[in-house]
Amino acid sequence: MRSALVLGMLLIVQGCASQGVSIRSLPPEDPAAVNAAAVESAAAFAAAGETGRVGQNAPETLPPVTPADAPSMYTYDPWERINRFTYRFNARFDEAVFLRAANAYRRVPAPIRSGVHNFFGNLSEVDSVINYVLQWRLELGGRSLGRFVINSTIGIGGLFDVAARLKLAGEPTGLSTTLAQWGMHPGPYLVIPLLGPSTLRDGIGFLGDYGASYGINIAGLYRGDVSWALGTINAVDQRSNVDFRYYSTGSPFEYENVRFLYVRKRLIEDEGLRAKQPRKRTKSTTQQENAVHEPAGQ
Amino acid sequence: MILSGTSSARESRIQRRLAQLTLAAMLLGAASVHGAESPARPIAPPPAPGPAAGLADSAALRATVFGTPPQDMAPMPSRVPLAEIDIALPWARPVPDVFWFDRKLRVWFSAQDNPAPLAIVISGTGNDGNTAKLSVLRGALYGAGYHVLTMPSPTFPGFIVSASSTGVAGDLMQDGLDLYSAMQQIIAHLPKKVRITDVDVLGFSLGGANAAIVKSIASTQGELKIHRAVMINPPVSLFSSIGRLDELFELSIGSGDEGVERLYRRLYAELANLYRASDRVQIDQDFILGAAATVLKTDAEFSAAISLSFRINLEDMFFAGDLYAGTGVVVDPRHPPKVGDSLEETQRILRNKPFSEYFTKVFAPYYLKQRANSTPASLIDGNRLGIIGDALRNDPDYYAQTNSDDLILDKQELAWLRDTLGSRIAVYDHGGHLGNVGERQQVADMLDMLAGRWPGTAK
Repeated sequence: MRSALVLGMLLIVQGCASQGVSIRSLPPEDPAAVNAAAVESAAAFAAAGETGRVGQNAPETLPPVTPADAPSMYTYDPWERINRFTYRFNARFDEAVFLRAANAYRRVPAPIRSGVHNFFGNLSEVDSVINYVLQWRLELGGRSLGRFVINSTIGIGGLFDVAARLKLAGEPTGLSTTLAQWGMHPGPYLVIPLLGPSTLRDGIGFLGDYGASYGINIAGLYRGDVSWALGTINAVDQRSNVDFRYYSTGSPFEYENVRFLYVRKRLIEDEGLRAKQPRKRTKSTTQQENAVHEPAGQ
Repeated sequence: MILSGTSSARESRIQRRLAQLTLAAMLLGAASVHGAESPARPIAPPPAPGPAAGLADSAALRATVFGTPPQDMAPMPSRVPLAEIDIALPWARPVPDVFWFDRKLRVWFSAQDNPAPLAIVISGTGNDGNTAKLSVLRGALYGAGYHVLTMPSPTFPGFIVSASSTGVAGDLMQDGLDLYSAMQQIIAHLPKKVRITDVDVLGFSLGGANAAIVKSIASTQGELKIHRAVMINPPVSLFSSIGRLDELFELSIGSGDEGVERLYRRLYAELANLYRASDRVQIDQDFILGAAATVLKTDAEFSAAISLSFRINLEDMFFAGDLYAGTGVVVDPRHPPKVGDSLEETQRILRNKPFSEYFTKVFAPYYLKQRANSTPASLIDGNRLGIIGDALRNDPDYYAQTNSDDLILDKQELAWLRDTLGSRIAVYDHGGHLGNVGERQQVADMLDMLAGRWPGTAK
């Protein structure tokens, strides 16, 4: 199984060896569906504009984040050279293998793809339950558990997201969020081979999540040859749901831009976690970021 | 977006646009200008442009940011086939290390099954050949029976590296020649089963001016004949239009480190507070959508979003031009950056540089050397649509669509367009810059113009 995968990848890479012209057929566009989605989002947009808030169920118990709390524009990236090398490797691998597989996969009928997506989403609920318990967010943990039970049974092994129709929408979490909740700093920026942008904390979280799944080995799916097949399908499914293409900006600054956005996004998510646990710590993550990683002279 | 897991098919244009603008707004860094600069020859920047028609107009600013409301969109087919073409062009200059990913020109093609006319669409400043606006135009044109080829702007870094014969973008005629040569190569390499009965070109923003120039080039040289050209929201003077966006930047964000840093910090705090108040576990497209609606409220904020997305595009063009021309503004020509080198500091310096510096320190020094007897003033004049004024006036196959509140035109320029094109221009009351692309009337008129059945300016 493994050797077949490696061989397949080599053949694909070989197949795209540089030629003068290459023409690749993509999944057809559906501007009408995009329009329909736009109508929907316009309504959401109007609603958000009116209320001025995206959602309001968390009471504001902390002083608001002020502009002075914003982290420095610099991003802590002591492993930049190796990170850039990995980013480049990821870009090449993505173009040669991942993206092609994802594009081919997008031609599979939508109901089948959604079944596959739900199946993997359902498996990850187990990890969410564990982590919500570790975060002491029991209500969300209960929700994930409920989703897992409902979707595994009525949803036929997770192929159908019945729970979402019962107003139990998925809210996945993982070890990296747990670590953040426990006060662990994001640490240096890290580009993980094949996975992409991360931080040291998120990388540890990813390994931990994988380790937990491997340890639990639900239905025997995480070990042996079957795990390679499922892992590959899972990766292709995830890739086909991410609308990002390496270097589609054509920009020489793409590494900087992606790093900047990724780290700010995670810092803002940390702020959200902290707001839900006001008594544990008093210093914001972004203030820590400022204090620890402000380069000299800035 | 890499930051979320929503399927591209489900993403709406508005979501993407807002997410792009909000996140792009966050991209700005404090620009500490302490890079060594080469001693610049005393070249005067382009003269300050007159005030733009729509610069102080709230509706124009909002239309420019939000684009066409979905309910006003022209009908589109539900299935548009799409292929991606990567092509290596023989005249491209050697690829610098840092641009390793831009080796081939990438364009997108939608083929009809039967013989059909080909519509070639050129993107706007700094943009690639597969943007949301191009997707809308592709849908409309394909639905009307055209093969559609969408191309990046000659100011897009991917084009500069793979298809420019100079590496220094922004010269209308040179960019037009490169575009035209690239079109010939691409068409020659299309699959045999694609049968083309006629060729028309379109473009929006700078791409509009590029389209008209390409048609004028095709009338005097080359094998590829181009029938009609439609310019959508074109500039009349490239440098005046860009000068206006520089002004907008200065007005809404301010020059120097402080304005930029202030904007970043404010946006960060607003997003963080919004996120805290939300019930979301992860930041996703929906969150960004709501956040953008909340953050962008005043004219100044809309202006900041517009000028910022333009400035971010300019960084790439500036960097590539400086690298190819060897002008040494941000890139040391003797030690160009390698693949693993950090470009963070270079980017910071570039964020603080307006277009006028690109002109005085990269563009003019390069082209003055290339063209004997040229002067800075002649270079500026060479970048006006006026260079093909006679053709625009006399050839009935040039058309334009624009808005009376377009941010990149002033009253004289709009009057010049009307006077030159006569009844072959449609001027809509509202839409700002490109804010009505894809709208029913715009699409219907565009298709009439392309088919030669446009009845002439009415009302």
